Amino acid sequence: MHVWSKMQRGLPLVVVQGEIDHGNSSDLQTEIDKYLQQGETKLLLDLTDVTYIDSGGVSVLLSTVRKVRERGWLGAIRPNADVRRLIEIVGLKADNGFRIFDDVNSVEAPTASAASTQPLAHEDAETTAP
Amino acid sequence: MNLDGQSQCRRLTVSPDPARLTEIRRFVEDVGQEFGLDGERVFDLKVAVSEACANAVEHSGGQHHPLEVCARFYDDRLVFEISDGGDFRLPGARRNARRDDRGLGLPLMVALMDEVRIAKMRGGGTTVHLSLYL
Repeated sequence: MHVWSKMQRGLPLVVVQGEIDHGNSSDLQTEIDKYLQQGETKLLLDLTDVTYIDSGGVSVLLSTVRKVRERGWLGAIRPNADVRRLIEIVGLKADNGFRIFDDVNSVEAPTASAASTQPLAHEDAETTAP
Repeated sequence: MNLDGQSQCRRLTVSPDPARLTEIRRFVEDVGQEFGLDGERVFDLKVAVSEACANAVEHSGGQHHPLEVCARFYDDRLVFEISDGGDFRLPGARRNARRDDRGLGLPLMVALMDEVRIAKMRGGGTTVHLSLYL
């Protein structure tokens, strides 16, 4: 697995290539956590060149969605059919906290009010399905 | 298992180390393609076998029992047997479980395979049987 990241149009974009498994998923978690610790709540994960993912990788997605969902979302870009099937099997569906994009260009740019300096959200964000 | 079954076993023995999962997946790929499975089924098998192996690595408790993966071909199914020297435990039940969501392995195996059987071996050890029917 190869992981790298950059800011793209105001959003962190984490690009993963290769196979995400139990042996290397902590590297992906570390890369994502870097942005979460900076206060980012909307994050893009480019899965275009991911050929394999197991519960090691899926658990990183699940925990990231849990961390951001009150104030933002995790956006997966172009997961292949196999990866997408696995994501769906574990119950990760497109909703407020998780999005799937066909193209990085279809992601809307963050508005000025969505800057990461906004105050902490409180208990008014429980709007997602049970 | 009868002798005929034994003779058709394709075997890979590795140390219980997450770094060996890549090698295990290549083995599963080779077997799956040899058996004529399509890409989707090969992917499912890779995930299920990886999950069984990752479980085994977790509950090996650092004792370094070798992890054995055995593929058996039958007329109507392909069976992977993953054996190790440890006792089966639910991921996350260990004190030092590193993360949440570690309990996904077994549900994934069940979701992706046609049959999952977990056998505690006499004298210690666990064998997970993963079957795909044709």
